[in-house]
Amino acid sequence: MKIMPTLDGGLRIDAEDKDDWRLLSGITGDAMSHDDKLSHRLGEFITDEAVMLDWLEYIVPELEDAFNAAVLHVTTAIASARVESGGGPGPLWITREEVFHWYSALNQARLAIEENHKFGPGEFIDPEQLPPARRSVFLRTQFYCAIQSMLLAQGMG
Amino acid sequence: MTMPDDSSDTLTLTRDKTALDVPWKVIVHDDPVNLMGYVTWVLMKIFGYDEKKAAVLMMQVHKLGRSIVWTGQREKAEFYVQQLQAHQLKTSLEKAE
Repeated sequence: MKIMPTLDGGLRIDAEDKDDWRLLSGITGDAMSHDDKLSHRLGEFITDEAVMLDWLEYIVPELEDAFNAAVLHVTTAIASARVESGGGPGPLWITREEVFHWYSALNQARLAIEENHKFGPGEFIDPEQLPPARRSVFLRTQFYCAIQSMLLAQGMG
Repeated sequence: MTMPDDSSDTLTLTRDKTALDVPWKVIVHDDPVNLMGYVTWVLMKIFGYDEKKAAVLMMQVHKLGRSIVWTGQREKAEFYVQQLQAHQLKTSLEKAE
């Protein structure tokens, strides 16, 4: 897989085979992989009861809608590009307008992975020392992080 | 203030009360996922802070585990909490001491 910035402030991802498409499709599964919804986890430090009640009633539903919309957008984009390429080599375009949706979906995936696997700061981990299943998840989150860094540098900076 | 009521034996008690609008703190908490550059970018975008101020607050989050990123009226504080959480930062709201 090759990923490169585009002149319009987005990214172009060139998938080379079905494994690349499977890896990209994993973003959705990882984003939805934790039982407690992200919208609830983000408020775990709110302790004031009155604030908590307002937050649950007014803010959580909006957060949930926005997070779901981002994942749906990315899922649809990957599925469309995959179909167009016939599951083989082909491009996936992320336009400047889509950058935040992608960043959001990738972040949801990484946050869920962190909740499930507790890797902590990735720079202190040697993937070679991890069991194969855990290594695979760790490398996925590092891959997502690399795309996020490119999005941040390209479209959000 | 206590005022006697001449028409009955009941005393009517009234009080003048002036409550100060207690400020609220918006606090961002650390997590091992959000990128430092992203947190800085979010603080600049939401509060309009310049890069230097946003980076200082981001480093407080990173090193101290949390940072008070804004203080003021509750309604506005709640709005900022919503905005920060929409960018997937763990955020809370506390009354200022």
